[in-house]
Amino acid sequence: MKSVFDIEDLGFTYRKGVRAVDGVSFTVQKGEIFGLLGPSGAGKSTTQKILTRLLHRFEGTVRFEGRDLRSYGNEFYERIGVGFELPVHFSKLTGKENMEFFARLYSKTADIDSLLQRVGLFEDRDRLVGEYSKGMKMRLNFVRAMLNDPEVLFLDEATNGLDPKNARIIKDLIREFQSSGGTVLLSTHLMGDVEELCDRVGFITDGRIREIASPRDLKLRHGRRELVVEYREGKTQHTERFNLDTIGEDERFFELVRNKDIETMHSGETTLEEIFIKVTGETVDA
Amino acid sequence: MRNLGLLLKGEVQRLLKYNIVQVGFGVTMLWVLVMFLLGREEAGFFVPLFVFMDAALMSVLLMGAGLIYEKQENTVKSMLVAPVGLPHVIASKLISAVYVALQSALFIGLVAFFFFDVTVRFHILLPVVALVALVHAAIGFALTLVTDDFTSFIALLAVYMIVFTFPSIFYALDLTGEILEMLLIISPAHASMLWIETAFDEAARTVLLVLGSVYLLILSAALIWFVGRKYPESAIRE
Ligand SMILES: Nc1ncnc2c1ncn2[C@@H]1O[C@H](COP(=O)(O)OP(=O)(O)OP(=O)(O)O)[C@@H](O)[C@H]1O
Ligand SMILES: [Mg+2]
Repeated sequence: MKSVFDIEDLGFTYRKGVRAVDGVSFTVQKGEIFGLLGPSGAGKSTTQKILTRLLHRFEGTVRFEGRDLRSYGNEFYERIGVGFELPVHFSKLTGKENMEFFARLYSKTADIDSLLQRVGLFEDRDRLVGEYSKGMKMRLNFVRAMLNDPEVLFLDEATNGLDPKNARIIKDLIREFQSSGGTVLLSTHLMGDVEELCDRVGFITDGRIREIASPRDLKLRHGRRELVVEYREGKTQHTERFNLDTIGEDERFFELVRNKDIETMHSGETTLEEIFIKVTGETVDA
Repeated sequence: MRNLGLLLKGEVQRLLKYNIVQVGFGVTMLWVLVMFLLGREEAGFFVPLFVFMDAALMSVLLMGAGLIYEKQENTVKSMLVAPVGLPHVIASKLISAVYVALQSALFIGLVAFFFFDVTVRFHILLPVVALVALVHAAIGFALTLVTDDFTSFIALLAVYMIVFTFPSIFYALDLTGEILEMLLIISPAHASMLWIETAFDEAARTVLLVLGSVYLLILSAALIWFVGRKYPESAIRE
């Protein structure tokens, strides 16, 4: 597989002395959705800012399609789309005017109206962005990132501040972008987004990547292999857990299945959040 | 070049939407109104001062206001990930500021010429105003890069005015002695003022003028260099 980004031993210290990224290495393959998952202040946005060439004084090497990132000129930006974690719009221009303002700067552009339509902002396209809600501004951020029909999409907390319906729309669009051949690097602290979207995920805390794996592999490796059975006995509800490796010989399990009023049975795979705590020794708010 | 044109178009659109051009024009109208209130005799005496205020102070203020908005709304970040060169972005802002100042100066000059019989040497006035506006727009730009919000911008601007501009205005009104004059030349405001006066006065002092213009050019270059270095950093709050 072809790699889009090769990042080796990346380091960054802000002028105020904060060491935000410290020895980070990973590769983003062409066509994959790579997630950077970590708690607040882990260094996700800083890493994204380095890869999008907003921060220059970094240590280590970053290669984009095999070539040193620093060797690219402005044409680099024709090929990537950047979604920021905070709104980046002119509040006294309308949503549509904002998008036209930036679209002008690219040599090729996506269809603004249909993008606005997709994220549900078409009706509000002629309203001033100053009157938009936070969720509307974040959806406009996504449109901004997609303006130039990019090959690589960077998304920093793209579903932040969105209700479930709109988060769904954005996640569908991210998937669609991938199926049409795009590569995505997304930062998030939401386990759900990672499980649903990412092919691979890097856990990052305190500026270091602790582990890189597919969300599924992580669950299998760190998860508990068990079956959770919930059943009712009279008015009270009971829960029992069975080890998947020995369940075939577990008489208690068969007894429950035969004699009890079973309500639910589900695999007791740990959530990514639990894995997160195990891998990093930290807690995180999902 | 295509990019610069597009950026200029966007910048002007932005300045209009944020009412910055309108405010600038309103202030120009104010000077004209004052001229009519002062009457023929007095107005002629004040015209250079009005042109100076417009080209210098308004350029600092309008540039600052525009940039502070931009910083608060994080739109620079969005600009920085578009395929445009930073020098073009900075140039588009400075050129817009110079353009607005030229329009105002031309308007004041025409009113002075036609309604107040003031001698206006337009071929000197316009380049002079362009340079004065450029250096002051660059000062406004630089000030926003060393401040965090509009309040501290205004505070710094006040300091700048007290140190550099007020002595110049007193001088123009003949309130200070001649000795100060050589000292005053280090003030961009004063060099600007001298220059603007020559657009209305045949008997200009060439030595000071050359000194002043060389100084303004060097100062503009230094400020633009500073802006180029600091602008992206401040946008990303590195
Ligand atoms: N401009 C800045 N100046 C100084 N320190 C900064 C700056 N921006 C971020 N930091 C610090 O760098 C570290 C990493 O920050 P970063 O924004 O990359 O984290 P993050 O993982 O994106 O967090 P979040 O989930 O809250 O967005 C934090 O300790 C933060 O305080
Ligand atoms: Mg972040």
